[in-house]
Amino acid sequence: MNPVTLAILALLLPAGAFLLIGVLAPLRRSGRPAAFLSIAAVATSLAAAIRTWQLASGSVEPIRAAWNWLPGANGPLATVGVLIDPQSSLMLILVTLVATLVQIYSLEYLHDEPPAAFGRYYAYHSLFVFSMMGVVLSPNLLQLFVCWELVGVCSYLLIGFWYRKPEAARAALKAFWTTKAGDVGLLIGIVLLYRLAGTWDILELEHMVKGGTLATAGLGVITFCLYLGAMGKSAQFPLHVWLPDAMEGPTPVSALIHAATMVTAGVYLLVRTEFLFHQTPQVLLLVGWIGGITALLAAIMACVQTDIKKVLAYSTVSQLGYMMTAVGAGFAGAGFLHLLTHGVFKALLFLGAGAVIHAVHSNEMHDMGGLFKRMPQVATVFIIGTLSLAGVPAFAGFISKEEVLGATLAGGLTGPFVMLLTGAFLTAFYMSKVVFLVFFAAPAAPGHAHGHTHDDGHHGHHGDPPFLMAGPLWILAIAAIVIGVYSTFFHHAEPEFASPGWLTPVAVAMGLAGIVGAYLTYQTRTISADTLASVFAPIRVAAVNKFWLDDLYLFIYRHILLAFARLIGWTDRYIVDGVLNVISAWTLDGGDALRRIQTGRVGDYIFAVAAGLLVLMLWMRGTL
Amino acid sequence: MNGEVLAFWVLAVGLVGSALNVVLSKNLFHSVLWLAAALVGTAGIFIALDAEFLGAVQVLLYAGGVITVVVFAIVVTERLVGERLSQTSRRILGGAVVAVGVLAMVLNVIRRSGIDMPRPEMTADITKWMGISLLTQFLLPFELLGVLLLAGLLAATYFARPEE
Amino acid sequence: MPLSAYLSLAAVLFSIGLFGVITRRNTVGILLGVELMLNAVNINFVAFSRFHGTALGMIFTLFAICITVAEIALGLALVILLFRMRRTSTADHIDWLKG
Repeated sequence: MNPVTLAILALLLPAGAFLLIGVLAPLRRSGRPAAFLSIAAVATSLAAAIRTWQLASGSVEPIRAAWNWLPGANGPLATVGVLIDPQSSLMLILVTLVATLVQIYSLEYLHDEPPAAFGRYYAYHSLFVFSMMGVVLSPNLLQLFVCWELVGVCSYLLIGFWYRKPEAARAALKAFWTTKAGDVGLLIGIVLLYRLAGTWDILELEHMVKGGTLATAGLGVITFCLYLGAMGKSAQFPLHVWLPDAMEGPTPVSALIHAATMVTAGVYLLVRTEFLFHQTPQVLLLVGWIGGITALLAAIMACVQTDIKKVLAYSTVSQLGYMMTAVGAGFAGAGFLHLLTHGVFKALLFLGAGAVIHAVHSNEMHDMGGLFKRMPQVATVFIIGTLSLAGVPAFAGFISKEEVLGATLAGGLTGPFVMLLTGAFLTAFYMSKVVFLVFFAAPAAPGHAHGHTHDDGHHGHHGDPPFLMAGPLWILAIAAIVIGVYSTFFHHAEPEFASPGWLTPVAVAMGLAGIVGAYLTYQTRTISADTLASVFAPIRVAAVNKFWLDDLYLFIYRHILLAFARLIGWTDRYIVDGVLNVISAWTLDGGDALRRIQTGRVGDYIFAVAAGLLVLMLWMRGTL
Repeated sequence: MNGEVLAFWVLAVGLVGSALNVVLSKNLFHSVLWLAAALVGTAGIFIALDAEFLGAVQVLLYAGGVITVVVFAIVVTERLVGERLSQTSRRILGGAVVAVGVLAMVLNVIRRSGIDMPRPEMTADITKWMGISLLTQFLLPFELLGVLLLAGLLAATYFARPEE
Repeated sequence: MPLSAYLSLAAVLFSIGLFGVITRRNTVGILLGVELMLNAVNINFVAFSRFHGTALGMIFTLFAICITVAEIALGLALVILLFRMRRTSTADHIDWLKG
């Protein structure tokens, strides 16, 4: 089969699964059959994606197929289609791989859900996979935007999967609104771009840029608007606030959407439109700095979290900052590489955390501890994920993180580079902290008595999770190691930039220092955690309060937005409605007065008719 | 003053007089009787206009049929209510103004129209002609009229049926 | 007598009938007024017919008389029906249409 057919097959299978599950209510309510249908569809998509990648990597030119969509006066206004090149096909594999594993994992994880909710979950999942692949394969920005919004909807639906839980409903809304704030920018940017270039097609735009026929005046605004969309989706400072809250959704959802795929859509968008950003260096600089700030601040906040999923969420924000910094430095390829490796090991970490949560029935790390003996498999894969994230050689994150750091330095972003390096230390620190607290330290540290005391005997799950959950974990873990070993020892891509020789040792040293620091603090307790807290008290307070960003947003919402809304409401109620009410009251009164004419007595009507006759005759007197 | 003029004036005075009594009489029963007189007077007018057949129809159907039905209706309602039906008038002034106004307008039209023409001589037997026309040219309306009367009769019977 | 004399007589009868219809309270009284008005119209028909030398108008009159008979029969049936439902034959008391 040719790659276009394969890509479209991969794209439409989950869509078909979604439609079947969505439309056929009995199938949806039956639960597990719907799940099997969804998994079969996405697994086939995975196979098609791998084959597409094989075919695409063989061809030099990107493969593009498009059909007319919106007819216009001068040719079609917009097209739909697929654009297959190494980037999009690799991303396609990542999306379908993680989606397949997550869906299989969810079979066990959401085992206790009622069948109808189970079916609903898989319907959303199928829709998400379709939409995400739509974003990835989009040959033009309009189609990309449509799919972009679709993944936003899926994210909303899946965060709010347990919609009876108020926090989940709130988190879903928060995620939707915050990303929507960025999406407005994206939409404006896309429209402006059409006005400037007259096309949405990515390849055509690239040709225009290469040919120098694209006007650069006003392009800065456009790229900034595009970046706003990416900022919302990829949780960049200061629009990152939704991602930690999004952890209210089921953990597999967090793994798929809020770690591996959807949140990287912003980075992917920037990678896709890299050539535009290169025309506007000042925006690129902004991207880089904000990426660095995001990476550092999120890493700091991750250090003070006690909820295992929140740590991972902030870690995701931080890593997205890394990718963005690389893009901002002008080397989108490095960011994209980190995107791919991060997708693998962050999904692994989330699914591992999910397995722990599934066993312990709590998100709080204080309720865990010493779990290595109980669930050695989970611990092993989680440690593999941690080492990957910390950038230890021979693991997946090592090369990509080096690339990002090197790119940042080569791009001349010294400030962000220092932030990223600090972030690397913190990353290793907080992830190791999680590992030591959850798997090695003595359980239930005194003084942290939580609402519900946890008693091993009363929880159903002992030891490692069943095959359906362990399988995906091991696949991801092996993938992380294989990628790491292959890229560390066997494969040396031609670097786009020259990195100084001291970079690798320093970066690895930072990572190892973080691990050692965490070991000393949380395992041997040589360094008191309380002392650390008091030393870094100001930062700690700020981090615990999320740098007061949520409070700021709440203030803006309460005192500015709501006040404005109240003003509008007042105007509407008393001025707009007032005028209408007065008119309607007059009409009513008039009708009431006129009503009295209708006496209902035949005699009156006859008299009126006769009087009318007389008036008519008087009026026509002259003509008769 | 020939016979026709004399007859017209006598009939006209009688007609107007009985018509006034119809609308002014306090007693409903008397009103009906005055209406009968007016209808017979109209029959006289018809005869004066050489329409003897119509005059006969007028007397038989109206003065005979209609008046009988009305009297029946009055008697039935009086039996039901158990007392004499007296009738009063309202809005007499307004009614008079409107009626006189309409009359003045119509008379004005008649006066100005110059419609007067010589009365042609009778050339044929009108009754015979009417009979032939009814069964040839106007057969369909004539039959439809029969259907209408039947429908009216059934409807009247249905409305006025005894209460169940 | 000229045509206008007959027409004027009919006009007078019509007006008297109209007066009756307007002023009468009793439903039967109103019907009597209507009869007078119809009668006046019949006179017009016959007079025009006679003066134009064609009998068509008289055929119309014949039809009109028959239709009037049907009308009066139905009208009186309605009066009786109303009387049963409202215990009155006074038109003013029948005011279901009151707004």
